[in-house]
Amino acid sequence: MKNKIGVYICQCGSNISDYVDVEKVKEIVSSEDIVFLSKTTMFACADSTQKEIAADIAEQNLDGLVVASCSPKLHLDTFRNVAIRADLNPYNYVQVNIREQCSWAHSDKPKDATEKAIKLVLAGIHRVKHSVALEKLKISSENTVVVVGAGIAGMRSAIELADMGSQVYLIEREHFVGGRTSQWNELFTTGESGRDVVSSLYKQIKSHSDITLFTGAEVVSKGGSVGNFNIEVKITPRYIKPQCELDMDKFEKVLEICPIEVEDEFNFGLTKRKAIYKNYPSEFPEIPAIDDKNCNRCGKCLELCPDIDFGQKVETLNLKAGAILITTGFDPYEPKEGEFGYKTVDSVITLQQMKRLIELNDKELIYNGKKINKVGFIYCVGSRQPDGDNKYCSRYCCTSAIYTGTVVREKYKNIQNFHFNRGIRTYGKQELLYHDASENGDVFLQFYNDSTPAITSNGTGPKVTIEDFLTKGKEIEVNLDLLVLVTGMVPRKERNIADILKIPIGRDKFYNEIHPKLRPVETVIDGVHIAGACQSPKNITESVKSALSAAAKANSLISKGEIELEPTLAVIDKSLCKSAGECIKICPYDAITTVEYDGKTVSEVNKSSCKGCGMCIPVCPENAIQLIGYTDIEIESMIEALI
Amino acid sequence: MANINPNFASELKKYGSVNFNACYNCGTCTAVCSLSTEDDSFPREMVRFSVLGLEDDIQTSLKPWLCYYCGECSESCPRTANPGELMMAIRRYLTAKYDWTGLSGLLYKSLPLTIMAFIVTAIAVIYYSFSEGLNVEKIMDFGHLFEMISIATVFSVILLPNIIRMWWMTVLKQKKKIAFATYFKSIGELIVHMFTQKRARDCDDNEFRWLEHLVLVIGYLSLLFTTVVLDWFGTDNLFIIILGYVESAIVFIVTVDFVGSRIKQKKEASKFSQPSDWFFVIWLFLLGFTAFVVRVFIDLDLIETNLWMYLIHLIVLVQWALLIVPFGKWTHFLYRSFAMYFDKLLKEPAKQTSK
Repeated sequence: MKNKIGVYICQCGSNISDYVDVEKVKEIVSSEDIVFLSKTTMFACADSTQKEIAADIAEQNLDGLVVASCSPKLHLDTFRNVAIRADLNPYNYVQVNIREQCSWAHSDKPKDATEKAIKLVLAGIHRVKHSVALEKLKISSENTVVVVGAGIAGMRSAIELADMGSQVYLIEREHFVGGRTSQWNELFTTGESGRDVVSSLYKQIKSHSDITLFTGAEVVSKGGSVGNFNIEVKITPRYIKPQCELDMDKFEKVLEICPIEVEDEFNFGLTKRKAIYKNYPSEFPEIPAIDDKNCNRCGKCLELCPDIDFGQKVETLNLKAGAILITTGFDPYEPKEGEFGYKTVDSVITLQQMKRLIELNDKELIYNGKKINKVGFIYCVGSRQPDGDNKYCSRYCCTSAIYTGTVVREKYKNIQNFHFNRGIRTYGKQELLYHDASENGDVFLQFYNDSTPAITSNGTGPKVTIEDFLTKGKEIEVNLDLLVLVTGMVPRKERNIADILKIPIGRDKFYNEIHPKLRPVETVIDGVHIAGACQSPKNITESVKSALSAAAKANSLISKGEIELEPTLAVIDKSLCKSAGECIKICPYDAITTVEYDGKTVSEVNKSSCKGCGMCIPVCPENAIQLIGYTDIEIESMIEALI
Repeated sequence: MANINPNFASELKKYGSVNFNACYNCGTCTAVCSLSTEDDSFPREMVRFSVLGLEDDIQTSLKPWLCYYCGECSESCPRTANPGELMMAIRRYLTAKYDWTGLSGLLYKSLPLTIMAFIVTAIAVIYYSFSEGLNVEKIMDFGHLFEMISIATVFSVILLPNIIRMWWMTVLKQKKKIAFATYFKSIGELIVHMFTQKRARDCDDNEFRWLEHLVLVIGYLSLLFTTVVLDWFGTDNLFIIILGYVESAIVFIVTVDFVGSRIKQKKEASKFSQPSDWFFVIWLFLLGFTAFVVRVFIDLDLIETNLWMYLIHLIVLVQWALLIVPFGKWTHFLYRSFAMYFDKLLKEPAKQTSK
């Protein structure tokens, strides 16, 4: 019980005192016998006031502190630090919000506002009365990070983490690294190819002793919590011996003999591939892989290549890690059948297919046996949807489409590009690309989302009819050889990892950070970070930036070997617990487990997983759970003061 | 419904357009234009038509002629797409389209052809002079006769049909009923603009250029009158002789400034010069200058022994009358003023037909 409490009532310039009679508040609360000292102040957060409060605490030996001012989101830490400087435990301090929740909200009723402020401050005083001194929790942590996804973001962050001294396990679901980046041939602004970028990252990863790469690997379960995660990883074998020296001629023969043909996802279905495959000759790791799902084990390849080994088994590994970084990337939007003529009109493809088509066609641009001269691009397919779910802009596609048009124009002869857009968003330096494209004769036509272009077939190719609002809404017809739907980014279809780690998902269905500006790479799950296009549409530059930021954040969290956590957690009184299990069901963080205690099974809170949200407290039939810092006695005495 | 034709850009390039494809339709050009109005909004719209290659919309529009190339649009363009020079190129293109002979287009687009035409006319004049035994009197009589015949012929065979074609493209195709009387009521517009070019005064800071141009037009037209009707080279009337000197001096002095500004390229309007622009100002200068010197030679009694001087003048004159007037930049004198006239016709409220 605290009985020497100091109360400070802030005027906040006039933000509070214009509507709340702060003198009256002071007068009334000072009559409480546990209040030793009460003051009003112009700005409680001012340096001089902070010093005054600290001096009061020290000189008067105060055992509790209440500051009635603004939202604790603004200044909770400010006054906790004042308490710490005056040797008062920061958890013996309570901030009362009489600005956002009182003076601003009731500016039309100053009298009632004063009444409410008095009640709120009294409630604060009574909470402090029962407050206890608390210390931050400290748990040990492994200086190891599991990075999920070896695309450009995952590879780049793995290198950075290892450079900073963390051990890295890099987990890639595919048999080859590089993700989407390896599928793009030329990259804006440097013109280098995606696979060159991937190769250079791969070489760094291979030479780094602190990075262990697993391909064909998938996270199947997670245990533990921040600092001490246990990650279970399933590894599908390549069915080729690791010491296999790749002989390209021999590999060509093996490819010929393999009877299985499946749609090649690397080329977005433009071509077929065999069950034994490598997407491109310089792909990493160097050894080809056998696609377990499609191989029928006919054994023909074995006759040619003794390094093929169907005896390899699926393995499961248990990895210990202090933090996790998710860089699982995106899927391109798959248009619905009939959306801008997709799959209903001939020669309508997606931007991603177009990029692969350019790489597959060396001298002339040929699609379905037809030479292509007139190329159209329809923008914002699957992004900024007026009716669909994807309200967001996919950020990269305007630049990517214009760049693709530029590459086509420069690589082949007699190409005319038409860009049917809803406003070009080539922000930053990318604007120059847009400038060059229009200077070089690319034609830009613009439509509103309520009058989208109509796609029909003119017999030889797709025909676009558009009301171009830059030409006073004139209806314009454009006959094309090939129509490219500029499809944006959507979250990965397959993402068990989100369920396994309970990563929060935003309204756009991408993974959600805690705060887009202040904590952009952390999730509410302590120790789980996100980066790259799994979080939101990003171009490569932006993906890598977020990857580096997440790497720094993860490393700074675990590299000290010890992690500090807030002590405001749920605790279960084991003697009261009858193991009803309600708390386990409702906990959003999987923080409650069962243990044996005194001959019975009871629930227990894992301190490093609990976030102190309080969900478990009201569901407990035995009232066996207390939230430290918000115990029943604290809350009840607050309620008493309020009514 | 309109069909798009991006190849039109390369056609316009031959008429001198510069980089208009860079336009991203911000509309700054139209916003800063002193002459553009809500009803007649340009140049952005013309840039757009050009990018899409909507030739029909360009050919039926009078807006290119409503632009007087103040140059503010090109100065303010954030993409240096030179809308002002595009309007100029469109005027050249339209001049070619109005011309039923098709020669304008050929000469605009091909410099070698233009030079050949100039050489052929020069040779023809020299050949004729030799065939007349270099007889000064005969040749000068022929020169005077040529002036009269060429004016009549060029006007009736080339210019008048071309203006009718312009009327057909820009007025008749609009399918607006225009009362016959309106043609008479609005004729004042034609006369005023033909002789004053007063619209050019609405460009900001353009008073001097407008005045210069006005003086040149008056000087040129009165010199034409003085030589053709008053027979300047043949007269003994002191007043007419002095009048001719003054007029020809005005023509070559003002054109020197015009040539100078095209060389200095300080103003937007004189930054880009096509061969047709150079031929126009230089031949106008030569016309005034050689006429002046010929009359000096006559007054000093030198012409009998220096026929070459008159031959130079005659060559310039023939080239001017047979090439530049019918197929070159000279026609802007007519098309600009007729455009103002046609525009006025189209803007007259439609006649009430029902009661």
